[in-house]
Amino acid sequence: MNVVSRGIRNAFRNVIRTFSIVIILGLSIGLSLTMLIAHQAVGDKIQSIKASVGNTVSISPAGARGFEGGGNPLTAANLNSVKSLPHVLSNVATLSDRLTSSNSSLQSAIDAGALGKRFSQNSGFVFHAQTGEAIGVGGPGGGGSFSFTPPVTVTGTNAPTNLSAGPLGGGGTFTLKSGSVFSANSTADVALVSTSIASKNNLKVGSSFTAYNTAVQVVGIFDAGNTFSNNQVILPLATEQNLSSQTGDLTSITLNVDSISNVSTVTSAASKALGSSADVTNAASDAQTTITPLQNIQSISLYSLIGAVIAGAIIILLTMIMIVRERRREIGVIKAIGGSNVKVMGQFMVEAVTFTFMAAVIGIGLGVLAGNPITRLLVNNSSSSASVATPFGGGGGRVLRAGGHGFGALRNNFSNIHAIIGWNIILYGLAAALIIAIVGSGLASLFIAKIRPAEVMRVE
Amino acid sequence: MLEVKKIKRLFKSGDLQVAAVNGVSFSVPDGQFASIVGRSGSGKSTLLSLLGALDKPTSGSIKVDGEDITQLNDHSLIRYRCQKIGFVFQSYNLVPNLTAAENVMLPMEFAGVGAKERQERAVTLLQQVGLTENEIGRKPGRLSGGQQQRVAIARALANKPKLILADEPTGNLDSQTGKMIFDLLHGLAKSEKTTIIVVTHDLEIAGKTDRAFQLKDGKLQEKK
Ligand SMILES: Nc1ncnc2c1ncn2[C@@H]1O[C@H](COP(=O)(O)OP(=O)(O)OP(=O)(O)O)[C@@H](O)[C@H]1O
Ligand SMILES: [Mg+2]
Repeated sequence: MNVVSRGIRNAFRNVIRTFSIVIILGLSIGLSLTMLIAHQAVGDKIQSIKASVGNTVSISPAGARGFEGGGNPLTAANLNSVKSLPHVLSNVATLSDRLTSSNSSLQSAIDAGALGKRFSQNSGFVFHAQTGEAIGVGGPGGGGSFSFTPPVTVTGTNAPTNLSAGPLGGGGTFTLKSGSVFSANSTADVALVSTSIASKNNLKVGSSFTAYNTAVQVVGIFDAGNTFSNNQVILPLATEQNLSSQTGDLTSITLNVDSISNVSTVTSAASKALGSSADVTNAASDAQTTITPLQNIQSISLYSLIGAVIAGAIIILLTMIMIVRERRREIGVIKAIGGSNVKVMGQFMVEAVTFTFMAAVIGIGLGVLAGNPITRLLVNNSSSSASVATPFGGGGGRVLRAGGHGFGALRNNFSNIHAIIGWNIILYGLAAALIIAIVGSGLASLFIAKIRPAEVMRVE
Repeated sequence: MLEVKKIKRLFKSGDLQVAAVNGVSFSVPDGQFASIVGRSGSGKSTLLSLLGALDKPTSGSIKVDGEDITQLNDHSLIRYRCQKIGFVFQSYNLVPNLTAAENVMLPMEFAGVGAKERQERAVTLLQQVGLTENEIGRKPGRLSGGQQQRVAIARALANKPKLILADEPTGNLDSQTGKMIFDLLHGLAKSEKTTIIVVTHDLEIAGKTDRAFQLKDGKLQEKK
């Protein structure tokens, strides 16, 4: 028998009490671990959302996004006023337009389908019908059957090496399949065409097509990864401005910022420089709308974590105080026969550690089992409110989407939150249990120190 | 040799000051068996707790082999209690979830005696006070009052103390068992050369001790 074995043995002196304390304490440790898991998982998600958003600032003509809206294009002067703002590393400037059969020999790679027809009817666009007959503004219920093909998007860019970030509307990823990329300041009549346009129009590297009534040579063939983005032709910026008679005009500028923390500074500087001629947005501030509910969950889980640890410490503290009071006389006797305060306290701490160790086993089990479901529950509950708050709706029926960022993808991330439960969680659990035990029994030890051995002379 | 000089212990209760022990002086040579009698509230328990260093006197000195224990620091007091003193209480005060043997081993553990030696000495002592092998392995709850008090005496003897202090050790026992416990203490005082001071109400017992003191209102008188 020694301090340790007596402490462990004392932990089982009152089996019913020990059992209940271990269960309650186990629940509190389980809750704190669950909250820790949720906290980490959500934190990781916030990190990855921030990382995926990237350090870019988007500038579009005031009132226009891609081919929607109206207003006047951006100018070369606009680009000059923002491209050397502090923290801006580089820029991607583009001019987008549409090729139809009236100014180009290219056939669209997409069939109209029901969505295309509906969109055509509802919008103010006039598309060239495949029959060769131009269709006017088709009001809703305009009647009559007509057909059209979605136009081919043509984009002039000053950053042919950074195509994924810039001109590829619809979130594609640029992969060069054959040929090569033209240089950034090229003025030659050259183009990159997508694999689908190339096959639809029998184009190979070296062959030519007509655009704006000019022969343009294919220098490379790319794949953008999705059908919408693949209905696209990419030209050097100067060539596109020249051919479409829009010298100096731009439809979008993307600024690459040195760090995500400077994105909002650059956004406001660009806004100030451009005034009312442009709309300046950044994905970071848009992503903030998405991140805010996650951050709320993060702080809720942090508070719950702290609360659960405190609750655990209080449970063990009260238990130990109760036990110390109950064994007041015994403590006095041990002191009277030569036991030091340190030995008595040690014995009680071992007892408290025994309680919390058993509780930790239960708690870790609970944490491992409940960590993921509870994280998901928390996230799902608050992401339903997030979708109300997020201005970017799912937007069914938007066939043509260009510019801006797809936040549907971000929101999908909510459901992908998955807590990784590793050894560190178990170690945290044991550490939390140990802290709880030491704090709880340490405070109770003050009561032990106050027990005077002379009290044992009194007969109860 | 135990030398007590003019010790006082004052208790404050509210505005009132109670002198539980009020200027007690006496000395007992090694190996003597002394008894203290006195009415309830006369300060007997208080005096014993001062002698056993469970409490400190308000004034005065207590010398054990020339060392004044009232001047000891907390650490030395614990060692003094552990090595020089054996306590026997009226209500036995055994640790309820330890067996008889483990109770006897407890003070030896505090004194730093090795595990094997503790075990052997505990069994020897318990056999000396008359417990059977079966009883040695039982917890106090399954021993009679007389058996528990024997275990308490064995525990008091565990570290071969200089001084055994017994506060009404027979108070909870019938007179026959009480006499047996007393004879046990008496025998030990002789064989181990241990000084024993016992507080008792039983004047018949008190009459048989080497020395007999009476406490009255905190003052001690020796009865011849
Ligand atoms: N902690 C204390 N605070 C106040 N008064 C105390 C305290 N301890 C003892 N006393 C008082 O000191 C006096 C002596 O008490 P003590 O317990 O020594 O008596 P006793 O002789 O052992 O009595 P009994 O035979 O009933 O056990 C009593 O009047 C008691 O009320
Ligand atoms: Mg008393």
